[in-house]
Amino acid sequence: MTEPPKEPVKYVDANVYLPYHYVAGDFRAIYLNGLREGKILGSKDSKTGKIFVPPILNSPESFAPCEEIVQLDDRGTVTTFCVVNIPVIGRDLEIPYVAASVALDGAAISIFALIQKCKADEVRMGMRVEAVWKPAAERTGDHTDIQYFRPTGEPDAPRESYINRL
Amino acid sequence: MADIRADPLELRTAMEFPYKHSTGQTIGRFLAGLKEQGRIWGQRIAGQGVVVPPLGYSETDSSEGGDWVLVENTGTVTAVAKVHQPIERLHPEAKPFAFVLVKLDGADTALAHLVRDDADKVTVGSRVTAEFLPEGERTGSLRDIATFRLAD
Repeated sequence: MTEPPKEPVKYVDANVYLPYHYVAGDFRAIYLNGLREGKILGSKDSKTGKIFVPPILNSPESFAPCEEIVQLDDRGTVTTFCVVNIPVIGRDLEIPYVAASVALDGAAISIFALIQKCKADEVRMGMRVEAVWKPAAERTGDHTDIQYFRPTGEPDAPRESYINRL
Repeated sequence: MADIRADPLELRTAMEFPYKHSTGQTIGRFLAGLKEQGRIWGQRIAGQGVVVPPLGYSETDSSEGGDWVLVENTGTVTAVAKVHQPIERLHPEAKPFAFVLVKLDGADTALAHLVRDDADKVTVGSRVTAEFLPEGERTGSLRDIATFRLAD
C-alpha cells in the first residue's frame, strides 16, 4: 500500500450531548410555582421599590435585598422585538414570528416573550399585550405555561413609559 | 432579611447539538484509510516529519503536504488524562477510561485517542496497540479505532 483510498470520507457525525441537573433556588422556585398557578411573580427592591421579574435576591442597581414577593399583572408593553424568519430546530412555530421583550405593568425590567395573534409586521415598540395561559390542568411550572402574548387593542403606551425598561 | 423560602425544584435536561463536520480532502482520505483498509496513514510534512493525523500543509513553511506514509498500529503513550467519573453520552465510555496521546511507530507526532481497558495501568511510556472495529462496522471516523490496548 502506498496511498490511502482516493475517495475521501466526506463527513463525520459528532453529536454533542450535554446532560444538566438544574436546581432552582428559593426565588426561582417561587417564580416557577407561581407560573403553575397562573401568576407572574416578581421581587421588590427594599431600597428603591423597583420590581424585578423573574424575582431576584438582590437589586443589581442598589444592591439592597429584595424582601418581598409581589404579583404582577400579566399584561404589559412591547419594548424591543425581533422578527424571526429562520426556523429553529425544536421550535414548531409558523414563521415569521416575533420574539419580544415585554415590560409587564409595574415591573422595572422586561421579560422575553413570544407575540402571536397578529401579523409580525404589526408588532411595534409600545404595543400593549397580554399573556395567554395554558389551561390550569396543563400548566407544569415552566415558561411555556404562558403560551404567548397577544395584542390587547389598547392605544400604544407612550415612549417615556417603557424606554427605561427595555 | 425576609425569610423567603420554597421547596427546591429540580430539572434534569439535556442539550444536544447534532453536528456534521465536513472532513476535507486530507482528513477525508485518512478516515477512508481507517474504514476501508483498517490502517493508519500519516503524511510527510516539511519541517514536521510524519504527521498523524495528516495536516495537508506544513505549519513551519506552509508548503503542501508530501507523500502519504503508512504508520504502525503500535505506538508509545506520550500523555495520559484519566477520566474517573465519565458523564453519560458525553464521554465515549461509561466506565473509567483514559484519554491518551499515542506516538505511533513511524510517526513524529502523537494522535489523540483513548484506552478503555486497564486505564489504571496506562502511563506515559506505555506501549499500546490500536484495536479496530471489525470491517463492516467501520464508518469512516476516528472511532473506527475502537480503543488502544496495552501491549503485553
